Amino acid sequence: MFAVRWIFDLFSSVRFGITLLVLLFVYMSVGSAGIVYPVHPNLLHPDAWVHDQLRQWRPFEMTEFEWFHWWPFNLLVGLIAANMIVTTLRRIPFRTVNLGVWMIHTGIIVLIIGSVRYFNAKVEGDAPVARRKVVLEVDGNEGSVEMLAAQGARAVIGEGAEQYAVEVVDIDPSWTLRTGASDGEAAYSVTVSVQTSARRFMRQLIAGRPDLTEDLVPGGGPGQPMQRAVKATGSAIVDRALRMRLEYESQGWFYMRNDLAKAWALYVRPAGSSEWTMRPIDGLPLYNDRVSSAADVLLADPSTAPLRPMLLAVPPTEGDPFPDLTIAVDGYLRYAQLRSLLVPGGASAPFNPTATLDISGDQGAASTYRLMALDPERSTADDGLLRMAAVSSEADFDRLLRPAEIRVRVPAAGIDVVQPVRVPKEGPDADAFVPVGDPMLGYGFRIRAAQDDLPVGGRNASVLIMDLKTPSGVIRRWVFDDAALTRDVPDGDGGHAAPVEPDRAVEVEYVPGCGRALVTLVVGPDERQLRLIAAFGDAVGKALPIEVDGAVQLPAGLTVKLSSYEPRARIIEGPVPIPLEQRIRDAREMFSMAHVIVPGAAPTWIRFSPYAFDDVRFALRRHPFHPQRVRLADGRELDILFSRERLPLGTDVALDRFLLATHSGGYTGESGTIRDYTSLLRFRDSPDQPWSDPVQVSVNAPIEHGGLWFFQAQWDPPEPASARDPRGSAGLNYTVLGVGNREGVWTQLAGCVIAVAGMAYAFYVKPLLIRRRTERAKASANRRIALAGAAP
Amino acid sequence: MGQGVRSILVAFTLLLGCAEAFGAARIAWRAEAEIDSAATASPAETFEKSVDLRPLAEIAVQSGGRIKSLGSFAQGEMGFISGPRLVNGQSPLFTYFDLLIRPEAYEDADVIFVKGGSVRQRIADAVLREDPTLEERMRAFQSSGLISAALLARDGVAEVLEQMQGDLLRTAKVMDAVRGAQMLMQTDALLRGLRIVPPAPSDADQRWHSISEVMLLAADAGAIKASGKEVLPVAGLDVALQQQCAAQWRSMVEAWINGDAQRVNASARALAALLPTLNPSASPDPARLRWEAWYFASGNLSWIWLVYALSVILLLLAVVYRWPRARSAGLVVFALAFLLQTLALALRWWISARFPNSNMFEAVTTSAWFGGCAAVILEVALRRRAVAGLIALASAFASAVALMSAHFLPVQLNAQIGNMMPVLHDVWLYIHTNVIIFSYCLIFMAAVSAALYLAYRALGGKRVHASVGGVAALSPEGMGGLRSERTGEVLDGVTMLLMKLSFVLLWAGIAMGAIWADHSWGRPWGWDPKEVFALNTFVVFAVLVHVRYRAIDKGLWTALLAVVGAAVMLFNWIVINFVITGLHSYA
Repeated sequence: MFAVRWIFDLFSSVRFGITLLVLLFVYMSVGSAGIVYPVHPNLLHPDAWVHDQLRQWRPFEMTEFEWFHWWPFNLLVGLIAANMIVTTLRRIPFRTVNLGVWMIHTGIIVLIIGSVRYFNAKVEGDAPVARRKVVLEVDGNEGSVEMLAAQGARAVIGEGAEQYAVEVVDIDPSWTLRTGASDGEAAYSVTVSVQTSARRFMRQLIAGRPDLTEDLVPGGGPGQPMQRAVKATGSAIVDRALRMRLEYESQGWFYMRNDLAKAWALYVRPAGSSEWTMRPIDGLPLYNDRVSSAADVLLADPSTAPLRPMLLAVPPTEGDPFPDLTIAVDGYLRYAQLRSLLVPGGASAPFNPTATLDISGDQGAASTYRLMALDPERSTADDGLLRMAAVSSEADFDRLLRPAEIRVRVPAAGIDVVQPVRVPKEGPDADAFVPVGDPMLGYGFRIRAAQDDLPVGGRNASVLIMDLKTPSGVIRRWVFDDAALTRDVPDGDGGHAAPVEPDRAVEVEYVPGCGRALVTLVVGPDERQLRLIAAFGDAVGKALPIEVDGAVQLPAGLTVKLSSYEPRARIIEGPVPIPLEQRIRDAREMFSMAHVIVPGAAPTWIRFSPYAFDDVRFALRRHPFHPQRVRLADGRELDILFSRERLPLGTDVALDRFLLATHSGGYTGESGTIRDYTSLLRFRDSPDQPWSDPVQVSVNAPIEHGGLWFFQAQWDPPEPASARDPRGSAGLNYTVLGVGNREGVWTQLAGCVIAVAGMAYAFYVKPLLIRRRTERAKASANRRIALAGAAP
Repeated sequence: MGQGVRSILVAFTLLLGCAEAFGAARIAWRAEAEIDSAATASPAETFEKSVDLRPLAEIAVQSGGRIKSLGSFAQGEMGFISGPRLVNGQSPLFTYFDLLIRPEAYEDADVIFVKGGSVRQRIADAVLREDPTLEERMRAFQSSGLISAALLARDGVAEVLEQMQGDLLRTAKVMDAVRGAQMLMQTDALLRGLRIVPPAPSDADQRWHSISEVMLLAADAGAIKASGKEVLPVAGLDVALQQQCAAQWRSMVEAWINGDAQRVNASARALAALLPTLNPSASPDPARLRWEAWYFASGNLSWIWLVYALSVILLLLAVVYRWPRARSAGLVVFALAFLLQTLALALRWWISARFPNSNMFEAVTTSAWFGGCAAVILEVALRRRAVAGLIALASAFASAVALMSAHFLPVQLNAQIGNMMPVLHDVWLYIHTNVIIFSYCLIFMAAVSAALYLAYRALGGKRVHASVGGVAALSPEGMGGLRSERTGEVLDGVTMLLMKLSFVLLWAGIAMGAIWADHSWGRPWGWDPKEVFALNTFVVFAVLVHVRYRAIDKGLWTALLAVVGAAVMLFNWIVINFVITGLHSYA
């Protein structure tokens, strides 16, 4: 009984309430702003203090949302609520003057009740919705093929001679129609290139206007490589067997916000399937790296690996295509990039000569190169001027010393000449033929282009593109240093005719020699024998011995130093955690990866993908998609994706149009020129229903459908063409909608309103009431005194 | 240099593009100037003083989706290059043109602003490693933050810049600004930015054209034709007018190179008169442009802090020495300062065509203005009571601090007028933001009176507190309960009066923000740091209310907690905004 009374007294205590409020203040401050602590005894130095987010430390690993839903916070709020209720009931009489306090406390209790409901039911995420997909059908071919209407998307449909390779080559979100009543209207236009074995053309599709579909065919003059088919052939469609149309690419899922509350998930499906099955991952961290073995990451110093073993089981879920397979996750990296590292492979490793060269000029500028002689992509540097090669004989080495040459033989005419290779620069002489043999015989050649170290079939090849003049005409020939690859390319079909076996009447042999390389590091014939070939000018190259840590002086003030050499190097690949100061601040989980163990397969790192797209053909621009294929010991293959949990929208949502409102002068690439983003959406609650009328979602103007609210969250901005992306993009091909529920907000609002009304009452009405009461009491007392004074 | 040679040069450089053409033509004119006469050339300083760019400062230019005055545009652009510093004491517009027309004069001039002491230190160390004789110049750099492009381009310095660019956590942002300044200093960028040629009337919302697109019109038809490139006039605008504009522009540039200030002035006047006639419907109200140019040239009127500071001194004298005349004078000066600030706010409102509360500069200065409004109303209502002058003192101090911040921290409180982010286009911007910043100012004002109370107690004042507050304090009768002879009681009364107002407004403001967030971001409350610390400020005041109820020394606890509440509010506004960014990154 005493204990109960003590508890009631405690909860009636204002001092206890103040203590709880102070604790709440500290808890919220630490969770939101973090903490600052010294790391150096000189506390006056600014670098002696470090700011950190306590909630992100390993023992906590919490987002803001999680920190504010942790049991200590819930307990604090619960105690404050209990304190307010008990104190109000026991210590504040329910009178007119106390109405304000009652209202404030009641309002806050109502707000807490509304918040409990709101936050417990809260789901929040985002849903990407592409604007259109292209649906392809071919006569005599069952089914259809689909691909996203996105620049560069490709697909193949049909078989044999009726096979069509298609690619989206252009999208114009504001294509101006020039047809009848639609003249001047802006429409969404998608242009697809079509390649068959017989022809090449393009087809333009207009969203919502299938009647305006038309083909473009080659021709039309030098300034206009394509012309409308209707003008060239009289028919708008040149190949009616291929049918294409634009359809909505609807979305039925939304992906939970990982930075709100951790919602990691793996997705699995049998190889070849388009249906993902989600498997949530419980316990995976968000902010801190964890690996179970130092060998899992590539680090110069393995002792710095974030070794904290974990093993999280990711069991099958309902309807899982692999019910017998429990996947495990034993590593997580918040921000890492996959890289490769070369290490000595030992005597048993395959021959793989690898060297590091430092080249410095007399001005002090220096560059370091790592070359691999047998890797076509890594055997040259600086546009082929630096090269590494391996030879198996001295004869091969001698060939490398020679400048590039061709040998032309015409057995019938008795011609057999060797000529140096010179690629003429543009100019009046570029088209002139170099005569071969007696000019009267009419044989000659001209070189169009030379390309060394072309990766062909896993090796390096050199090719010379040349025209051969014969009495019967000109032959375009691709002459490889490997004669088996040499082909003639006949004219015709716009230069797209298939290559044929070379005409044996004229034989050409190409000896690239040291090619365009000024400096070649040569390994061989012995794997420890290293020589440098310096070939400046047209003369025969000069061979210079070189050894590890040795340097060789070259013309033009160049010094080449061989820093390392490994004849049997082995490449190991893995993730490298990126230092904090090199991380893009707003990258969030974009560079995260999980180390996944599938029973019967080698463990593998899987990079994060924000969305589980059906296929790479449906991946949206700027949203990486990294599914990984894994082969099990029993031969089965599955695709795995590392992403976020998703929930069904309960409806299909499609993007009809995306509108960008801008300030004066239009969008210039600066965000300040944008006035508003608007998605025009259509909903369909079941596939057999028609799409709803378009509804508009824009910034500050969400809509509700089926209990979920849809907000404008992200957009697809235009991107100018660049070296990396020569086509660029006009943008506006998709939208990303914020999706969430909001249960309990009206209760929260009611609580706020009651509380604010109570404050106004307590601060501004109550003092007036007290003053009036005091004045009445004073007046009454004065009257009594007066009466008493007047009494006889 | 003869006309023919110049024409060939122009024709040749047209092949390279307008900026290069401009650069080459400039060199030609320069060479001509050197040959012509040294007698007409003036020393640079005299030239700068003789040049009158005011007519050009008031013409319209399109930038970042806004039509603004060229004067304010130049100030904004030069802000990206030289930060808050004036190069050689020149006006930003003069420096903009001088950079464009005489870039060689700035190759090794200290014009690029570098923010942050530690970054400056690293750059200075790198420069001194290469050239120890530059010690004096590096000292000046560490003080002003200005350094030349030539020094930044030195090998050792470029290497350090590269390293700092790689540190995304600490220095990359500063390096981005430096790189941005270097790019903006390029002739091409400066020329491209001068979008002073309006589009045709039929293209009302289209981009304006840079002067580079028309500046060679009718320059030398023969040479241009020979080059194979055509300089086409802007379609839909009077061609003859465009040619006149181009001729005046070329004349101005040529005169600038020659140091002929009179001709520069004449060409600038002519150009300023011609440009609005190209498409009168596109140009905004000339009065608006004129006032905008004046507003920015006048330092955004943030110098009003001096008037407020004077009123603070007078009102403090009135409190400490109880001089009625000092109080009257202080109130008059306060009223004057408030009037000036009101005019500044109204002017900015008119110029930007929206109420000024959507960036840090506007939020801070408008917050102070709201405090001033409250002070004026309360001072009038309580003019015969003991609190008279104290609320004005608190408000004057708050406004002085706010305007000083705007004046002395122009990088952090950027006064440039830009378009609002799409999310801010909502009626709740005016409701929620104004209520919140009003409450913030009241919190600060309450802290001023609380600090005075603490000073009073520290100097031996009695342990007293006001026994009335709220609406009772608002009424003359209620405030009459405070005895003026007991300073501590009066100060505590003022603190409570302001605290209660801010308490209600802060709660209401938070609730309104939640309503806005609900329909803007999809959730009324997201535990964003700014939200949490607004709530924390409220929690401090909730503690204050309950401590005051229980404590024996009510005055002391009230004052202490009022100061703590203001500190939390300032932490929210300064540390959260600039260090711990969240969703409210624009506020």
